[in-house]
Amino acid sequence: MVVRIRLSRFGNKHQPFYNIVVAQARSARDSKPLEVIGTFNPVPQRPTGLSDEEARAARAYKDISLDRSRAKYWLGVGAQPSDGVWRLLHLAGLIEAKKVPSN
Amino acid sequence: MAQRIPNHLVSNSLLPYLSSSPSTSLFRLTTAYTSSSLTDASRPASRSFSTTRPSQTKLRREMIRWLRGKGSELQHHTPGETNYITHTNKPFPGNPLYRSDPILSEDMRNEIHRQVTVQNKSVRAVSVQYSVDMRRVAAVVRLVELENQMKEQGKSLALPYARAIHEMVPVTHLREHDDRRKSHETINDLPVHRLTDPQIFYPVSESRQFNRIDAGRVFSAAPALRNQRAEWLEANPDETIRRITQESPANIEKVGKGDEEHQVLLPADARIPHPHMITHERNRLTIGKTEPAEVRQKYRERLEQETQVELQRKERAQQRLEMKTQKVQPENSRFEFRFTDVVVSRETTGLTGRGHKAPGRRYGVPSSDRKKGQVKIPTRVKV
Amino acid sequence: MRNRATTPLKTPKIRQSWSKYNLYNLSRLRDVYRPNATFFQQKWKAKAAARAYHGEQVSEKQWQRMFSPRLRSVVPMAPSNLARDDGSAMSAGRGSGLTKAPQPEEMEDFEVYEEDAGADKPREKFRGSRASYTGERTTPYVQMTFAPLERRLDTAIFRAMFASSARQARQFVVHGAVKVNGKPMRFPGYLLNPGDMFQVEPERVMYATGAPKDKVERRQTRVARKKAAEEAKKAEEAAEEAAEEAEEAAEATKAESAPLEAPRKTLRALMSKAKAIMNSSKDVLPAKRKQDLRGFQRAVRRVLSRSGNSSVLTANLEEQFSELTTLLKVKRAEKKPQKAEKTEVEAKAEGSATEKSESEAATTKAGENGPITTQLSEAFRQAIQNPEKEVDTSELSDEEFEVLRRALVQMRDNPVDSTKPYATPWRPRDYMSAFATIPRYLEVNHNICAAVYLRHPVARPGFGEVPTPFGEMVNNPAFVWYLRRR
Repeated sequence: MVVRIRLSRFGNKHQPFYNIVVAQARSARDSKPLEVIGTFNPVPQRPTGLSDEEARAARAYKDISLDRSRAKYWLGVGAQPSDGVWRLLHLAGLIEAKKVPSN
Repeated sequence: MAQRIPNHLVSNSLLPYLSSSPSTSLFRLTTAYTSSSLTDASRPASRSFSTTRPSQTKLRREMIRWLRGKGSELQHHTPGETNYITHTNKPFPGNPLYRSDPILSEDMRNEIHRQVTVQNKSVRAVSVQYSVDMRRVAAVVRLVELENQMKEQGKSLALPYARAIHEMVPVTHLREHDDRRKSHETINDLPVHRLTDPQIFYPVSESRQFNRIDAGRVFSAAPALRNQRAEWLEANPDETIRRITQESPANIEKVGKGDEEHQVLLPADARIPHPHMITHERNRLTIGKTEPAEVRQKYRERLEQETQVELQRKERAQQRLEMKTQKVQPENSRFEFRFTDVVVSRETTGLTGRGHKAPGRRYGVPSSDRKKGQVKIPTRVKV
Repeated sequence: MRNRATTPLKTPKIRQSWSKYNLYNLSRLRDVYRPNATFFQQKWKAKAAARAYHGEQVSEKQWQRMFSPRLRSVVPMAPSNLARDDGSAMSAGRGSGLTKAPQPEEMEDFEVYEEDAGADKPREKFRGSRASYTGERTTPYVQMTFAPLERRLDTAIFRAMFASSARQARQFVVHGAVKVNGKPMRFPGYLLNPGDMFQVEPERVMYATGAPKDKVERRQTRVARKKAAEEAKKAEEAAEEAAEEAEEAAEATKAESAPLEAPRKTLRALMSKAKAIMNSSKDVLPAKRKQDLRGFQRAVRRVLSRSGNSSVLTANLEEQFSELTTLLKVKRAEKKPQKAEKTEVEAKAEGSATEKSESEAATTKAGENGPITTQLSEAFRQAIQNPEKEVDTSELSDEEFEVLRRALVQMRDNPVDSTKPYATPWRPRDYMSAFATIPRYLEVNHNICAAVYLRHPVARPGFGEVPTPFGEMVNNPAFVWYLRRR
């Protein structure tokens, strides 16, 4: 059995919110995982507390919370990140970018 | 039916502008006409098209009589005076416990804005200087900024409306130099704390004074201070309060365990918005008569220090936030990704795995956000 | 949502509204205390009366959820008292026969040094109201029963005097005329947080608080609108014809003719209106008024005959106005040295004052203007009709000159404009002043119709900050009702 690092969907209709979880690959998406190591909010947030000019130039951001040491541990013991999580972990600087098979 | 004369047509629209108060000649004229039209309306000839009688009940007649008699003076205001039913500053005749408080005049607002933005004074200093609440000072600066911005953009303002309001309600004007200081509002309001609600019978020893610090500990069920420590606090009241207010709030002593844990209730000296004023008063009492210059100097230094401390605190909070978050801006994405560090451990998740300090939405907890009675509209709007 | 906020005369209810019915009901409000009523009846009557005013648009269930038995209050502290005594004087001697707290010493003047206060400058002093410090008065806690409702956006808009009733405020929110912290907010039930800024469109506020148009003005609006539509049609046709002939030439003429036509039209309309008044109400007009009107007609005719080829009316109003004011200032400056009694310093001071007071001319009281003299009105007429000519102010006294200047400023800020939905020039609606009060927990800037919700309302010794028409005789039973132990 493979242990995967993947997203499990919470939030409401049109308001997605994900827990980044470590779970058995064959378990249901929203079932109780082995561990919750972070969260991912895919809805872009406008930065606040800026002046008008700054606000115009600023990028919207997506919020991610992550326990790096736990993520590293699970990667070390062979947990397989899903594609979405792979991208996030790559942005966090924990793993190399996934090689896209060229066909 | 006599036609009502539109005010702005007569005398080349001169009168409405020349008389700022509507209760002057212009309105005396128009009211004369309206009353004549009213008498006309009561004649049967004026309602020739309708056979039904208008509902002129006794109550209605009484009301009209009141409006023409006693109520007529409430119709228009005299600039610079309140015009309430009670003839005092209480707008509600049934409620003597509400009074109409003065608002800041326009020159006062502009002066506060100038002091903060141009002269770079701290909000705290301006608040004490004009006796205006610190939150109000901040709000005034924000609103005047917005006003200037709207003026620059050439948006229409409601100037005649603003004038009328400032004529109707009491106003605190910017005082002149020879004027005696009049306070706009009390700036050292102490919020009544929930812990002080119960009445407590607490016997104290006669060997030592029982002061506000001790009272706070009693209210929050904290053990009494040891004598030595209490004596030191009593001997150095200024230093005590300075430490509480200027050092990190995390240093405040806590009592209780688990969910019951709460901070020890601080004395009133530390909980009012301007604790530095107490130290100033104390200085005045001791050396104010002999060395007023020094007292003034110390006051200035203290204000400066307060401002510095607040600035540093803000900076530190900003730094801490930046330390905790890592911002990534990938080139092939429109968005920025902000990674916040969290901790997943037995301490945060708890034995059941449902601890509230751990990250993520909880498992096994029903979501009630669509249930009846839950708040479904936004609860806050970020600036 | 149907508006159930009626103001019946038979069973009077007080509403959050500035209507004259409401004012009359307020004037005959008596305490609902009836000695024969049972406790339950007292509570029921009290809460019914209070709820008819507080959050009438909020359903009872919703309000019951908002209700909190915890009532906020503050105690104003005097730093001088805190400095003099660390609290031990209050507790000393309890239990040994001394039951009364020692009288606080005579309160001294509370004094603060400003940063820029020089050593030689006399100290500035301020005396806080002693009663608020020594706690003579009790804190009216039950007056805060309906404080949670004051957090609602629609109520706050009504309290800031941006709307003439809470229902109207609610409509403004629902119709999208309100922003919170610069972002549109369409929920009237949004609970403001301390520090939130809300703003309403100034035009809506002017409409809500201004006197309504009367019959004649409404008719004028209709006529003007119809004419404008016709003109637009004509202009379109003309433009089309012109386009057929020669496009470029037509463009040029149109650009010139359009601004020239508009003021002439308004002048003509004004004259016809004046005529209509003269004809329709000959018997009611006082003789003086008639003279004025005739003079006005003559003046308009003069301008109309002249403006065909002059550039007077082509310049826009704003420019005219600024020209006029500068002209007035220049004239004034020229005139001043001639006056012997005025010193240089005074003149300078006045000059700066006039500049400053342009924006806030009317906030200074204009009560001193007595009978308006004929010279003054003549000068005003001149100023309005031919702004490019020098206004003859030589025969005006200083006071009259000031009045004239103020009038011109007001004319710019508060113009006659038939397109507005309220009577122009704007004036407050009747009976507004009887309700005019702004509570302490709001900081309002009326110029831009924006306000900041500073904090939650609190009770303080002697005063409750929630504006409620009821005293403790009503609020107390109402509070007890909502404690839900009946």
